[in-house]
Amino acid sequence: MSITLDFNGKNLAKSKSLNLHYLPAKVNGDGNANVETYFNNYTREAPEYGSGVVTNALRGYPLVGHRIQVPEGYKGIVLQETEKPLSESTDRQLRLTGVFDEFTYWNYDKVPSNGDPYRQALLMADVAQALSEPISEEDLEAEIKRNRESKKENSS
Amino acid sequence: MSKKSTRSSKPKPKPDPDSGTQSTVTALKKVLYISEKLLPDDDQRLRLDRFYHPGQGKDALFVTHPDGQIMELLEYAEPRRSWLIHSEICSNGRIYMTMPLDATLLALHHLRKHCTQRAMSLENIAVHEANTSRLLTQFVSPDGLGRVADVKVSGDLTFYKYNQERTLAWLALKTRQVAETLKKKQIHCGHSAQSQNFVRSDKLAEDTVINEMNYTRMACDIVGRYLDADLHDQLVGYLHIPSEIQAIVEEKTAAQKRKSNVGQEDSNRKKIKLNNHDSDAASRLMIGGLLDGEDVKDCIISPPSVEPLKERSMTAKEKALAKGAKGTKSIASFFKAK
Repeated sequence: MSITLDFNGKNLAKSKSLNLHYLPAKVNGDGNANVETYFNNYTREAPEYGSGVVTNALRGYPLVGHRIQVPEGYKGIVLQETEKPLSESTDRQLRLTGVFDEFTYWNYDKVPSNGDPYRQALLMADVAQALSEPISEEDLEAEIKRNRESKKENSS
Repeated sequence: MSKKSTRSSKPKPKPDPDSGTQSTVTALKKVLYISEKLLPDDDQRLRLDRFYHPGQGKDALFVTHPDGQIMELLEYAEPRRSWLIHSEICSNGRIYMTMPLDATLLALHHLRKHCTQRAMSLENIAVHEANTSRLLTQFVSPDGLGRVADVKVSGDLTFYKYNQERTLAWLALKTRQVAETLKKKQIHCGHSAQSQNFVRSDKLAEDTVINEMNYTRMACDIVGRYLDADLHDQLVGYLHIPSEIQAIVEEKTAAQKRKSNVGQEDSNRKKIKLNNHDSDAASRLMIGGLLDGEDVKDCIISPPSVEPLKERSMTAKEKALAKGAKGTKSIASFFKAK
C-alpha cells in the first residue's frame, strides 16, 4: 500500500487560496454551507479585546478570534481523497484542494492568547528541529572521551 | 417530504474532475502544514509511508520525498474543533504537520535488533520487510548511521555493527541540543503542577530559576519518544537523571532543612507519651493545659525516655499566645462543680 500526495511545487503556486476558519466546535457533518452570507458577513473588529481581535457568533455562541499565520517555514494546504479505498492494500492518492497562508483562529468566549493549546503545540516544531539536527563526528568523539574519563574518575 | 431525504435520494451529478471543490464530498478534507523544504519539484510526488516507530512500538506515518528526505507526520487534535474551508464545513478538526526527524533514530531499532552480534549491510538487514528495507536503504543517511555503529567497508559493500557506547554518547548530545532549545523557548519543565495551563510571560522569564536537571529530564523524555524502552532507560542512566519522584523528595527535604528549628521543637512536643492504662481523657486534657492540675494529680505522666523532660523553649507564636492569655481563667474552670 502506498499513499501519494498528488501535487508539486508548481501546482501549489497555481492553486487557489482558501479562506479558512478554525472553529471551537464539533460539527457532525461535512458539506457545503453558506459561509459568506451567514458567517463572514458577521465578523466584526473588536479592538476592545486587543489589536487584530475579531468577534462573531456561531448559533448564538459568542466567538472571539484573530488571524493566525501558518508557522514560519510551513505552507498550509488542504488535501482531499477523491475515492475511498476499497481495501487496505490499494494505492491511495490525496489530491490538493487549495492552499492557505493564514486563517482565522476562533475561541469560544476567550480571547486567543499564548495559553491556547494550539500555540503551545507549535513549540514542538522547534523542539523537533533541535532533535533532528545532525551531530558532528568531532562532537561525538569528544563526548565519548569525556564520558570515559568521568567513568575512570568514579572508579578510581 | 423533508428537504433532507430529497437531497440524498436525488441522483448526484458526476463530479467535474478538474475542480476539487464540488458539492459531493467523498472523503474528509485534511488540513496539512507542510514544510517548505519538502515541496517537490515538477515530476516528483511526496509519499506517505508507514515505518516502524520504536517509541510507539507500532507503525506510524512519515512523509517521504523521492530525494531521500523524511519527515514525521504528526497531528494536532483538540477535542471539539472543526474547519470552515471556503464555503464548506469540514468536521475533521485536525491539523496535520510535518516535523523534521533524524531517520537514524528509526534505524536504531533495526540495528539493535539485527546488528549487535555481527556487521551487516543495509540490504541484508530486513529482507522480509519491504518497508523497513525501503527505510534503511533510501532515507537513512550513512553519515547518521556512522554515529551509532561501527562501519566496515569492503569493496562496494558497507557493513554496520551496532555500537552501544557511540549510540549513548550520540543520544546524550541530542538530548543536550533539545534541552538548549527548551531553555531558549522558555518552555516550563518543572514538575510543579501548573505546566498545563502555564502561560509564559515575558516579564517572568528573567526571574525563573532555571533548573538544569528539569530541562535535561524533559529533553531526555522527548528523545525517549523515539527510542525502544530499554534504550531509553540506558540513556537515563547515562545522563545520571534521578527519577522524578526522587527529585521531588529531595526538593522537599531541602525545603524542610530551611525551617529545621521549628520542626525540631514540634517533634519534641509530639513525642510525649502516656502510660496506656492512665491515658484517660483527663490526663490528656491536662497535657494540653485545658484542665487545672490539682484535679488530676494522681495521673502519672511517663516521660518519653529515662532522662527528665527538658524545658522546651517557647516559640514566638506560643509566647504571644501566653502573653495574651495572662490573667484569663482556664477554660475548664467554668465547668467545675462549685
